[in-house]
Amino acid sequence: MAASVVPESDSIRRAVSLLNAMDPGRFPRLLSRLLQKLHLKAESIFSEEEEEKLQIAFSLEKQDLHLVLETISFILEQAVYHNLKPGSLQQQLQNIHLDQDKAETFASAWAAAGQDTIEKFRQRVLTPQKLETIGWQLNLQMAESVQAKLKSPQAVLELGVSDEDSKNLKKVFVEFSHQELFEFYNKLETIQAQLDSLM
Amino acid sequence: MAVAAAGKAAAAAYGHGESGGGRGAGGGFLGPRVPAEVEAMARGVQDVGQETFRRLLKVTVNALEGKDCKESVKLIAESSNLSEEQLAFLISGMYTLLREALRLPLSTFKQEVFKEDLKELRRPASEGTALMQRSRLPSVQDLKWRVDVAISTSSLARALQPSILMMMKLSDGTAHRFEVPIAKFQELRYNVALILKEMNDLEKRSILKIQD
Repeated sequence: MAASVVPESDSIRRAVSLLNAMDPGRFPRLLSRLLQKLHLKAESIFSEEEEEKLQIAFSLEKQDLHLVLETISFILEQAVYHNLKPGSLQQQLQNIHLDQDKAETFASAWAAAGQDTIEKFRQRVLTPQKLETIGWQLNLQMAESVQAKLKSPQAVLELGVSDEDSKNLKKVFVEFSHQELFEFYNKLETIQAQLDSLM
Repeated sequence: MAVAAAGKAAAAAYGHGESGGGRGAGGGFLGPRVPAEVEAMARGVQDVGQETFRRLLKVTVNALEGKDCKESVKLIAESSNLSEEQLAFLISGMYTLLREALRLPLSTFKQEVFKEDLKELRRPASEGTALMQRSRLPSVQDLKWRVDVAISTSSLARALQPSILMMMKLSDGTAHRFEVPIAKFQELRYNVALILKEMNDLEKRSILKIQD
């Protein structure tokens, strides 16, 4: 079961030697920052300024810093993929010759924030559109242009659907009479029954 | 409806906005003052034959349902010996009459009362049709859904995460396909149940027991 999660390629070897040389003081903070942002699809987790500060802090060239950051991200993503226990992670890292103190730092950062990170990855969806917000309004319609003396209650449901590409929230307004809302509710109950049967 | 508007103008030109003294309190469901075009129609309809009258009525009903009736009006104009002016205010009068009658729901709208009102206006009794065009936001025409369980993804070897996909077709023709995360689904279910409860409470309250 303890198959090697991190392959021993040239770039990994180079990254490990760079990692071993890095100042251990600031290392934990770097790890937790990377863990927080791991699930986001954004390309760079650090801005230009921050990268420059990191270069100075760890006395690394730009290329080397990028290699280090990519390698750490890769290690953490593998930990997520295989749902590694902190102990296994530490072992794996020591197997590729990472210093023990750094490996321990990895293990404790993973123990602290690992489950949250995994959960965030679980929630990531592949569909472009996702329901984000739900709002509603209950009205009592008294009359309209083609019909007088009504007394029909109506609900308006506002569904906020996010679009992956445009990053806008599309608002869908749907109106329901009492009967229509009841039918809608029955459908939701059927779905819930299916979810319950999965447990 | 352009013909109705022309008719209204024609009736106004006869200067008949104010009279009605000879008829007591006015036209019942038409309100305290009978609209000018209805009066003008009431007078003009005396000379119209039964067949032509029936055709005019059909055209009016079609117009109320939103159908295009230019052709039918032209046919009537050709076959009968009515001038365009007469046709204009006959149709507009009938249109207003039927439209106002149809606003009232069936419970208030008793056949006999309608006939009485019509007789007062010196018109033969006729039936109206039920209209169902209303101004509403779109409603759900069709809801399709599926529950999936993601076993494995590119980020997680063992995900086992259920998800719900919904395809909602609305009455205005638009379709929306979106994923509903489980937490949001629970929120949706809760809110819909809450609205249903509020609707029930609303319908029980005394405001709805006021008679029409």
